Order: sequence, then C-alpha cells, then structure tokens
Amino acid sequence: MSVRLKLALTIFATGLLTALLVIATVVYAFQRFENETAYRRGMGFLSRVVSMYDNIFDMHEKDAAAFQAWLRALVLFEPDTELYLLDAGGNVLAKTGPTPLKPGTRVALAPVRESIEQKDASYVMGDDPERMDAGAVVVAKPVRRAEARGGTAEAGYLYLVLHTQQLPEGRWDVLRSSFARPALGAVLAVVALTTLLAALIIAAVTKPLRRLTEAVSTLSQGGLAEGLAVAPGSPLPAPTRDEFGKLTSAFEMLLDICRRQWNALRRTDHFRREGVSNLSHDLRSPLTATVACLETLDGRWAGEPARAEDRRLVEIALRNTRNAAGMVQSLGDLAKLDEPEFSLRTEAVDAGELLDDIAVRFAERAARQGVSLRTATPSGEGGGGSRAELDVELFERAVANLVDNALKFCPPGSTVTLAAAARDGRVEVSVADDGPGIPAADLPQLFDRFYQSRPTVAPATAEGGRGLGLAIVKRIAELHGGDAAVESVLGRGTRVVLTLPAASSSRRDELPIA
Amino acid sequence: MPSASILVAEDQTDIRDLLVMNLRSAGYDVSAVADGPAALASQSERSSDLLILDLMMPGLDGLEVTKALRAKGRSTPILMLTAKSTELDRVLGLELGADDYLTKPFSLAELLARVKALLRRADLLRAAQAASAAEPRVLRNGELEILPAKRQARFRGVPIDFTALEFDLLLHFASHPGHVFSRGQLLNAVWGYTHDGYEHTVTTHINRLRAKLEADPMRPELILTVRGAGYKMRDAPS
Repeated sequence: MSVRLKLALTIFATGLLTALLVIATVVYAFQRFENETAYRRGMGFLSRVVSMYDNIFDMHEKDAAAFQAWLRALVLFEPDTELYLLDAGGNVLAKTGPTPLKPGTRVALAPVRESIEQKDASYVMGDDPERMDAGAVVVAKPVRRAEARGGTAEAGYLYLVLHTQQLPEGRWDVLRSSFARPALGAVLAVVALTTLLAALIIAAVTKPLRRLTEAVSTLSQGGLAEGLAVAPGSPLPAPTRDEFGKLTSAFEMLLDICRRQWNALRRTDHFRREGVSNLSHDLRSPLTATVACLETLDGRWAGEPARAEDRRLVEIALRNTRNAAGMVQSLGDLAKLDEPEFSLRTEAVDAGELLDDIAVRFAERAARQGVSLRTATPSGEGGGGSRAELDVELFERAVANLVDNALKFCPPGSTVTLAAAARDGRVEVSVADDGPGIPAADLPQLFDRFYQSRPTVAPATAEGGRGLGLAIVKRIAELHGGDAAVESVLGRGTRVVLTLPAASSSRRDELPIA
Repeated sequence: MPSASILVAEDQTDIRDLLVMNLRSAGYDVSAVADGPAALASQSERSSDLLILDLMMPGLDGLEVTKALRAKGRSTPILMLTAKSTELDRVLGLELGADDYLTKPFSLAELLARVKALLRRADLLRAAQAASAAEPRVLRNGELEILPAKRQARFRGVPIDFTALEFDLLLHFASHPGHVFSRGQLLNAVWGYTHDGYEHTVTTHINRLRAKLEADPMRPELILTVRGAGYKMRDAPS
C-alpha cells in the first residue's frame, strides 16, 4: 500500500468521522432544541392553568369523572400532550390519555421537584405513565386544596407529559432521515470533495517521493554495478527544499559513497587480479629457464651410472618446479577467468566428442599408471545428444583438470569413466572414478580456492594439489551458465558432474574466424 | 642429408641459450637472435627450415614477424612460444600463420617433439608438392575441390581460407574418403605427434572445418562423426 493511498484513506476516514460527529451533534442539538421548545410551551400552558384555577384538587375530589372530562378539555388543543393529576406521592389520580393505565401507576417525584424548583432548567425528563419504560419531557406544577387544611402542604401536582420525537425511540430513523436530507447529502459531498482535493494535493506533494522511489527501484533493479555506473544524480529528481529534498540529497550522498566504494573495490580487485596475472606471467620465464636447465642436466646424465644420485636430485627439483609452474599457471588462469570482461568463445559442439578427445590425450598417462580410462558412449543416434554451447578450450581445461585429479588419486587397477548425457535441457558431463574417495567433511569446501584436505596428497605423483584445479573447474562451469557438483563415498569412488546448458538445436554455430 | 636449420628468436638470454644448447645437441643447425627485427633480417638472407619465435619480443613481436614472413610468401614452419595462456593469443598465433605454439613453461622434450613433427610435416609437404607438381591432381568430393599442389580448396567453386593445420586435416580426409580415422590416428598423421597439452584438439579442428564447409554444421554431410570410433569423410559421390 503506497504512502499516497494511506494518506488519502486517512483523510477520507477522518472526513467521514468528522461528518458523522457533526451529524450526531446536529441531531442531538436539534433534539434538545425540540425538547426545550416543548418544555417552555408546556410550562407556559401549565402556569396559565394553575394561575387560573386554584381549586383543581378540590374539583377532583368533588367529582373525579367530571374532573377528568375537564382535564381533557384543557388539552384538547394541545397536541402531543397528556395531562395528569398526581397526588403528593406521585400516584396518578386523573389522566387525559385514552390509554388505560394500570391501577396504582406512580411516577418518579424527582423530575417533578426539579421542574417545580429549578426555574432556569432548560427541560426536565420524567416518567411517561403510558410508557413507563421510556422517558419524556415533563412539566409539573403543584396544586393545593382551596380550603387548606392545616397549612400549605401540597396536595398534588399537575403533570404534563410532552411527546416530542424521543431519541431512544427512533434514533436510527432520525439519523436515516437526517442523512436523506439534502443538507446532509451536501455534507457527504463536501467530504468526498475534500478527500479528492486532498488526494490531489498529496499527489503533488509526494511527487518527488514517487520519483525518488522510482529512481531507487531502477537502481536496485539495474543492479549495483549498472546503477552506479550512471552519472551522479541523473536518475534522481532535482532536490527541492522540503524533507523530500533532504531525503533525495541524503540518498544521493549515500549513492555517491556506494559508488566511490564500489569503484575503489573494483579498482582494488582489478589490481589484485592484474597483480596475480602479471606475477603469474612474470614467473613463467624463470620457471621455464629452470625447468629447461634441469631437463638439460637430466638428459646429459642419462647414461651415466655414476650420476644416478644426482639424477634423483634433479628429478625431485624438476617435479617440484613443474608443480610450482602448474600452480603459477592456475593462479594466472583463475585471475583471468575472474575478470568481469572475460567472455567465452562458445561454439555448439558435442560434449561427448570432446570427452573422446580428452580420453585420447590422457590415454598414455592412464596406461602408464595402470588405470583404465574410458568414455561411456550413450547408445542410440550418432552423437548430438550431448550438444552444448561450449568454449572448447575451457571445457577441455575443466574436464582435463578432473581427469588429472582422478589419475592423481586413483591407484593402479582403478577405472575412470567420462560420460556426457542430455538431461532436462541440460548436458551432464561426469568424470567418475572408483578410487579412494573423498572424506565427507571435505566435500563442501572442495571447490573453494586453495582448500586442500590435509591427508590427500596424490599418491601417483606425490603432489598435494587439487586446490586451484577444482576452483577453475567450478569457475568454468559457472561461466557457461552451469554448475559443478561432487559426490563421493570413501573407498567407493568419486564422481564430479558438470551441468551445462544444452545447445539450442536450431542455431547454426558461427565461429569467429578471421 | 644436411641437418635442418633452426632460428631461435627469444629475448630472454637464459631461455635462448638453453634452447640453442638442446637443439644443437639434438643435431640441428641452430642460430639465435634476441629480437624480431633481427629475426626478419636473418631470414632475408637465407631461409631457415624452422623458426622458433617468442611471442613477446622487443622491436617486432612474434606475430608481427610471422605476418611479415607470410606476406613475403614464406611458408617456413613457425613454432610460437608464449608466456600468455589466454586463448586469444593462441588463436591468433595459429590463424595468422604460426604452425604450432607452446605455452611457457614448456618441457624441452615436448619442444623437441614438436620441432621434429613440424620438420617432418614440412618434408612431407614438400614431397607431396613435388609429386603433385609433377602430376597435378585435383581431389573432388561432391562440391568440394582440393588442389594439393596449390594448397587450395574450393567449395561450390568458392575458394575457402584454411589454416595450415585445417588444410592438412581436410587433405588427409579427402585423400581417404570413407575411411574412419580415430583421434589418435589423426593426431599422428596430421599433427605428427600425440600431445599432452591443452590445445590442438581434433574435435575443435573438425568443428572449424565443418563451420567452413557444411551447410548446417550441426548436421554435417561431408565430415561425419562415427561415435566411439572417430571421423570420416563421406565417400565421393560418383
């Protein structure tokens, strides 16, 4: 829910509530006014009656029936009023209404007193003998016997009940009718109009916010790299002088910091990669010279039994130098593969055929080590099933690393199997061996750079080192939009699977040939 | 037969000396220079049988020397040495006319093997050219036409550019249509050695041939895959 919607809803709700309160107040005031009017009218009427007739109680005592008729005649022209004669205890002695009363009906005396004693009361609510459960506006006046026996004691009261439209009776009807009134319709219209106006104002005021939000979401959608590449400030609205302006400036500042840090980070990373790459490059010449020297010596002493000891030393030096050279090359390659600008040179090729190539390449070494290296050819049509968009060089590099690892760790008599198979629009390339396997604890970190499980020094070559090789494999798989995974059981063997996207069968492969 | 002459152009003294020393003890007639211009100058007097060029040299680098020589029509085999392992250098090295390359650090045994293979290929090539010059022949397979003497190939009458290796591979197939060659056989016959490096894969070169010759490289009609066995060129339609 957007801020604007929330604001609009809040304003609408507030407006509605205000309108309802206004209506309620109006209805209440109207009711009160009606009551007051009725009370004043009733008070006037009753005062006149009491001042004109001072023998009202005597009249009643003389002839109750005649008195009742007389009482009726009094209120004949007073609509909505009933007049009662009460005794001093509040018991109804005579009445004007046609409704028969229960015998002994008695009204509360407190309102009676209030009406008599408080001259400035705006109105008094009391019992309606006809409907004892509901109140009514009442007016009371004391009546005395003309021949006062023993003082001025009040013999009773004239009790006037004025039927106004009481709230408890018809509150909802009143409200409903009030709403139906054009004036209240107008109130609603005003509320709606105000809300609309407020919405427009909110829209205008929050426009910078919306633009800022859009800019921010563009930035986050575009990713940090692209977003930060945009010229400073350009995606953001021009800062205004209000809070939104401050927010924009703050965001811009934040963005600027991010941008600078990102650039610094990129620069550092670039220098790091560049440094590793250069180092790797520069180390090659001395290593080449050293290897060549050692090889020359080795060749020179080849036929001399007296030099057997020296040859052994040279052999060790050569092996270690080659290992170092391999690591230097891996480091340089990994730095290369990590470059953001690095792009694959893919062509659609059958991964299975490339595996055949690799098998040929390693055949001699495998035979020397007594390991059986074979490719599992899927039966069926003549290839094409495992066709993928591959950078041939890198793919071969990855698989060669895997085969190299397998050969390093597998004892004579083992089997290394290369296979490629299409599965769910992907091509799965696997290198499996039945060698010693890898401890389960080492599996999760196996593709990490420089991770080396301690006891795994390759028996075949006495090298430690699958560290960078597997990191390169994973990186190559990722560059292809695929992934690398390993499964291994100690004593049973290891299987590394590269999952790569299959080539779309319709596309012609176009080679970038000069 | 006089021993083959080899020119080594390498700016790093140690490596140059080691190369010269080992090539000499292998029986070759070796001369050495330290930069590109000197390499070109030495070739202007007398052409060596083989050049070993460092890719990164002062003056003219290995690629520029190669280009200059090829522009003069020299087909001397060139073995490029490079410290870069980036694929771009490799591809350029081969496509701009080098015949083979080795990435530093390389093994001397590997280098000597490649030198031998390149010289053998050059000899075979010369012999074949002499033979076909004496009796010019044209190999035909459908719309493919190969003139071994001129080292030219035409497809549907249009001449197609091939690198030296690609042409040799195509010629090998075309000379034995219908014959299935294993990868090992192809490596031996065309490359001249079995290798242990990351480059020169048979499949890659087959793919390149297909890209240049096949209407749909995904469904080749000329150079066919025999899974588990190797490759063959289809029988020439009669």
